[in-house]
Amino acid sequence: MQSQDRLRVALLVAVAIALHGFERTIPTPIPWLRFGFANIITLTAVVFYGLRVALMITLIRVFVVSLFVGTFLGPGFILSLGGGLASTIAMGGVFYLLGGLFSPLGLSLIGAFAHNLAQLFLAYLLFVRKIDAILYLSPVILVFGVLAGTVNGLASGMLIISLREEGLRVGRKAMGKEHGAQGTGR
Amino acid sequence: MSLLKKTIKETSHLNWILLVFLLFFYLTGFIFVGRLMPAGETVIVEVNGKTVYKLALSEDRIVDVKGPIGVTKVEVKDGRVRVLYSPCPEKICMKQGWIRRGVIICVPNRVVVSIKGGKVRGVDAITG
Amino acid sequence: MNHMKSVRSWIFSLFLLSVLVSCRWGGDKVYRESDFLLDTVVTVSVVSGSAGRAGQAIEKVFRELKRLGGLLNFYSSKSEIREINENAGVKPVRVSGDTLRVIQRAIEAAEETNGAFDITVGVITHLYDFRKKIHPSADAVRAGLALVDYRDIEVDPGRMTVFLRKKGMMIDPGGITKGYAADRAVSILKKEGIRAALVAVAGDIRGYGLKPDGKPWRVGIRNPRGAGDDIFAAVELRDQAISTSGDYERFFIEGGVRYHHLIDPKTGYPARGVISTTVIAPLAVKTDSLATAVFISGVARGMKIIEGLGYNAIMIDSGGVRHLTEGIRDRVEFIKKDN
Repeated sequence: MQSQDRLRVALLVAVAIALHGFERTIPTPIPWLRFGFANIITLTAVVFYGLRVALMITLIRVFVVSLFVGTFLGPGFILSLGGGLASTIAMGGVFYLLGGLFSPLGLSLIGAFAHNLAQLFLAYLLFVRKIDAILYLSPVILVFGVLAGTVNGLASGMLIISLREEGLRVGRKAMGKEHGAQGTGR
Repeated sequence: MSLLKKTIKETSHLNWILLVFLLFFYLTGFIFVGRLMPAGETVIVEVNGKTVYKLALSEDRIVDVKGPIGVTKVEVKDGRVRVLYSPCPEKICMKQGWIRRGVIICVPNRVVVSIKGGKVRGVDAITG
Repeated sequence: MNHMKSVRSWIFSLFLLSVLVSCRWGGDKVYRESDFLLDTVVTVSVVSGSAGRAGQAIEKVFRELKRLGGLLNFYSSKSEIREINENAGVKPVRVSGDTLRVIQRAIEAAEETNGAFDITVGVITHLYDFRKKIHPSADAVRAGLALVDYRDIEVDPGRMTVFLRKKGMMIDPGGITKGYAADRAVSILKKEGIRAALVAVAGDIRGYGLKPDGKPWRVGIRNPRGAGDDIFAAVELRDQAISTSGDYERFFIEGGVRYHHLIDPKTGYPARGVISTTVIAPLAVKTDSLATAVFISGVARGMKIIEGLGYNAIMIDSGGVRHLTEGIRDRVEFIKKDN
């Protein structure tokens, strides 16, 4: 990977950590229910640098923040990690398998859905083994996810467009390929 | 053109359909789950998955539930139930207030308070 | 290249749209809701193909029951019953149709049972406090007895008024209100097109129609000396109502004597000889009042009253012996005690 890209990825990691850490300070009715602003970064990374890089950013973000705040290996950490991995894989998967079918907005919605689903499933499996309680909370969590996913999706879209105009290349082969600063994607 | 406008312009309509679909799906889910939520005349209190109390909603009562981090107090009054006190740090279960249907859970103390309806002892209702 | 993307995205859109459109709920289910009304827990179970329709019907029932509760509540400062009691011996009070009807049914029940069910016994029952374990003195009971007589209730249907002739008289329709409410609930549900439902206003229950599994509603009768949901028998309700009066509902024991809420209007003291009576009849307003009346009348007289009216009953006397009317023998299932 070019050093320019490395720098960019490092920046993305930093911003992801900042977003994740910051949004934890915003109060929400249900614990661990977050907006997921860091997903903006994840999606951007998927589009420009591929699934592997995006996964790496997600892992680093979740681990670093939880270690720093002190919730490492706690319930919040598990849910963050599970949700983050699920949404990253979902977004990466859809982007690469279905080409340009979905724009950032749609991908973000899919990611949010996967994120929420994974969290509900993990909560059921590891914490509250009562399907009624999970069913009770799921609509709230899912609607919240759609709204957050929309905001994040539009924000990702804007970020992607501005980065694309700066010359970054979109697409599956962006990794490991030599390319000049020219070219506005496909 | 502003960046936002440009982003929206570039978003194919499929994405918007997905958004509408998801919202519709979830909002109807809201109503559906609301109805699905068990309502009834019995309150079941569980600790770590084990049932410790089966209370009648028609009988005003306060019970102490012993969990791993302390004693949670559950109150039944006027056909509703709430968590009166719990030793958990965030007190989310207490903030939920009174419920007539559904569940209240205290994750740290592993307490689940749920309302159960349906057949009791094989009958649909009890007189007397 | 762009064409392809466009076509694909349209196809996907159509797919999502069709899924959206074909979302449907089908099949009859039992929808069940509870609320706190008339000072007790009311549970309505409805059989319907649509959650929306079920919810709407149940909402209507709850609203109506709330309204009835406001009119007929003995303790509420704004109820019409309160107004009638406060004007006893003073002047007739104008009331709404429901209050009038409840009192008329109460008088009917009094006539049918030779005064065993008598709402004017309220002047004595209100002197009891079952939580604080208070009961009236012998003098208070004697004084109260002078004011107990349902024949002193004057009802004028034309003018829609109720007048209690003697000063100090007090009526408490609590023994018939729940039955009346259950019947009202059923007529609302039938009007809403609900083909099967079970309305339980505490222990006064009425059911009609069949459940989705094709079986009728099954109601358990509480074991008078058991705990919580311990039942001794189960009855199937086919378009019928059922009520039970027992000496275990509201009571306290003092000096080895059980003081319960079913006061004999002739003696002014809790009725003896019976511990539980269950009456089954088409209307809940009847089962509610008759269960009380029959409890007070005792086994011999009680059974005669019920058989005379063509209804059914199950009584348990203070010796624990069960008495049943002929008509119910094959329709009751006695539950064996399980541990």
